[in-house]
Amino acid sequence: MHEVFYKQENPYMPERARIVRKYDLTEDVRFFQVRVCDQEKVFTLTSTYSPGQFMMISLPFVGEAPFSITSTPSRPGLFEFCIRKVGRLTSRLFELEENDFIWLRGPFGNGFPVENMMGKDLLFVAGGLGAAPLRSLLLYALDNRDLFGKLFYLHGARTPRDMLFREEFFQLKQRRDFQCYLTVDEDPEENWPFDKGVVTSLFKYVKVNPKNTAAVVCGPPVMYKYVVQEFMKLGIPDANIYMTLERKMKCGMGKCGQCVVGHKYVCVDGPVFTLWDVKNIKGLI
Amino acid sequence: MRLFKIKKQNLIPFLRGLEGFGELWGPVKKGNNFVYVRAKPEDFDLTALRTIIPAKKFFLPSKFTSLKFRDNRWEDNYRPRKRVIFGLHPCEIHALNIYHKFYTRLYPDPYYLRSKAATLVVGLSCIPDEHCFCYATGTSTVNEGFDLFLTDLGDRFLVWVGSPRGEDSLKLVEKFLEEATQEDISRYVSWRKKRDASFKLKVDLDGMPEIVSFSYDSPIWEKMGNACLSCGTCTMVCPTCTCFDLEDEYDLKRDEMKRDRFWYSCVFREYSMVAGGHNFREARSERLKLWYTHKLVGFMSEYGSPACTGCGRCEVSCPVGINVISVVRALRNERSTALWVKMEVENA
Amino acid sequence: MAKPKIGIYGLTGCAGDQLNILNCEDELLKIFDIFEIKSFVMASSATDEESSLDVAFVEGSVSTEKDLEDLKEIRKKAKILVAIGHCAVYGGVQAMFMDREWEKMYRKVYGKKNAVTLTKPLPPKPIASYVKVDAVLPGCPIEKEPFLKLAGLLAKGVIPRHPDFPVCAECKWKENECLLLKGEICLGPLTNSGCGAICPSLNVSCIGCWGPIEKENWEAEAFLLKERGFSTEDIVKRFSIFGGQERAEKLKKYLESKEG
Repeated sequence: MHEVFYKQENPYMPERARIVRKYDLTEDVRFFQVRVCDQEKVFTLTSTYSPGQFMMISLPFVGEAPFSITSTPSRPGLFEFCIRKVGRLTSRLFELEENDFIWLRGPFGNGFPVENMMGKDLLFVAGGLGAAPLRSLLLYALDNRDLFGKLFYLHGARTPRDMLFREEFFQLKQRRDFQCYLTVDEDPEENWPFDKGVVTSLFKYVKVNPKNTAAVVCGPPVMYKYVVQEFMKLGIPDANIYMTLERKMKCGMGKCGQCVVGHKYVCVDGPVFTLWDVKNIKGLI
Repeated sequence: MRLFKIKKQNLIPFLRGLEGFGELWGPVKKGNNFVYVRAKPEDFDLTALRTIIPAKKFFLPSKFTSLKFRDNRWEDNYRPRKRVIFGLHPCEIHALNIYHKFYTRLYPDPYYLRSKAATLVVGLSCIPDEHCFCYATGTSTVNEGFDLFLTDLGDRFLVWVGSPRGEDSLKLVEKFLEEATQEDISRYVSWRKKRDASFKLKVDLDGMPEIVSFSYDSPIWEKMGNACLSCGTCTMVCPTCTCFDLEDEYDLKRDEMKRDRFWYSCVFREYSMVAGGHNFREARSERLKLWYTHKLVGFMSEYGSPACTGCGRCEVSCPVGINVISVVRALRNERSTALWVKMEVENA
Repeated sequence: MAKPKIGIYGLTGCAGDQLNILNCEDELLKIFDIFEIKSFVMASSATDEESSLDVAFVEGSVSTEKDLEDLKEIRKKAKILVAIGHCAVYGGVQAMFMDREWEKMYRKVYGKKNAVTLTKPLPPKPIASYVKVDAVLPGCPIEKEPFLKLAGLLAKGVIPRHPDFPVCAECKWKENECLLLKGEICLGPLTNSGCGAICPSLNVSCIGCWGPIEKENWEAEAFLLKERGFSTEDIVKRFSIFGGQERAEKLKKYLESKEG
């Protein structure tokens, strides 16, 4: 460990990208399609990541924050993000127009172990903004449909207006090669054609081979406990139950420490963890 | 093994000679403490044990501009100055080795690597005081991580060369070097015996990783949390604490944006707080627990050794006495006179 | 892009914050260049109070009815309102006494209840007690560097957020000896950062002029000072300079319970 002269690029240096398209998914969540400006990097960056990874989006003067990638590497060219307006950075992002610049670093994080999931039945449970990383995995599985067994996608939202990608899922429901169930907690306008109630009420439709199933949950923290109980009732092993976690991240590379839990840096050892990790590492959820 | 010696009276010209590599920095007295500053070699205090801020400041300064943004382009202008840092004791060098492992894994940190390449580390032997416990952390001697290491044998210094760059740097001071003889070695052996016998602070770190892990739900964290001021001093003075934060600012005079990087602390309230206000570690006890779990367990699983090098800085710096010694004692159900223990007793 | 229009106003206070803005000698021309200054009475009597503002900086506490009227006017015409200085952010030294005690104090100074006729006095309060505040810059007085940082971000249309960690961090970055450990009443652990630890760098202990951090652990600090042998009176005095009466009363109760 003596002389260290790495000729390396600075991984803190953001990459310029352009907003090519944006539209509102709900009242406070907006969909952004983004293209990296450097033509030489576009294809590599957008085709080699894993579903479940995230990127650091940054705006000069405001700072940087992590966002899950909601697009799939099986459709390269663009990155897609769902962004909820909650803080200073996201408020500024909402002021931007198409063709404006944003800056990216990444992709970071472990992502879902897609190779381990191949040949297995898949069971996805999404709640609220949790649909963002799960959409990436879902589209990946649909684009590579023959690599996976049965495919169940359960999605809960507070009201029909709060459901991310509502129209996209309405269309996907038509497909015969996978089961998509949607539910809402409340239906104030009384025109919701599908299930009502919490997302766990959709488990009655699920028919998978539990010993050969990868189950994935992503949503608000309160949801995990109940969904995981359902997974366990089905008899899915701890190591095949995956969840993606939210933490404060400033660097994305296991350095700044702000996402650390026990000895795990959520930004590099996560954000995808198994149920065994969660039981073993206190404080993860 | 490359070993030389120099006469004691030649130390100052020896250090002056090394200045050919870069600026000379070393420990100088500040009040009742010490700080590493750029100074003349005759001003260095050879009795200095622990400086207020450890040598990590040479590798990533407490605050620096990591990136600039001008005309829609990001620039990285971080260029550390070349430095010789003198007077680093084994605990300090062990900490730098941990720093090195940490900053070169996965995504090597370019700022660290540049500083590392610009710094010549000249170690110095020491005799422990009542706060040193490096024998308990296994860091009282050092085999790598320095360029040169000097052992004080009274009228002479043994000069141990630890790196090819150290070997190169000796060309600057060749005229002071003498071959080390068998007599010097036996002197060193008796010095070692004397040094090893002079540790006063007794603490047993054996079994700490699992004891800390098993004590996750122990009430002592809550007690500690009641006394913790969340001032962050422990993390700033800890030679192996690495956490930082990034913040953008606009320099209106120069019309450029700067992304500043500065030391941050896991005991600060906003450390685990995400946009929207949710805080994953709202309680002070949770944040302290993280600190000790990370130091005594986390590094163990990751790198095979705890992230404590026994330098004693937290011991002399925490105003309410929360430090590795008092926490380890509390976890082992041993008596402790730490202020936080007293506060708990009196408030109960 | 049109220059952002700003106004700099003072309510009840020493005007030290406005003075420190004027003291940004090297950068002052740049500030005048970047912003269109509509009102800054301390610098120029030519003001334009009709125009709407992008940013209003307000120093001083609300201590009179006139203050309150002015503040409401400023709020109405400003898109972004920034409280600058301890008085505006926390109420200042004058907020040392709460309503009840304040009346007593008023009588002691002015005699009769209605002795002051120019404008009716009110118990001093921070401006956020009356209007929405978008950003704050504490300090008594504010510091040049943090002010320029704040102004810079505002010029770029970003609403700055003051960090929330104690000044001890900055003090350690400066490699100072800890004054608490040296046996002084230093309020560093309870006090927000931003000043760059000027006082402790000059061996003067912190009196808390940048205001308290969120969820400060004053019990532990008080216990520590008591252990170091300071009297309840000394501790309470130090805490109440910038801490207000409510905190001082809690503290006194706590310390007296230790004595008893």
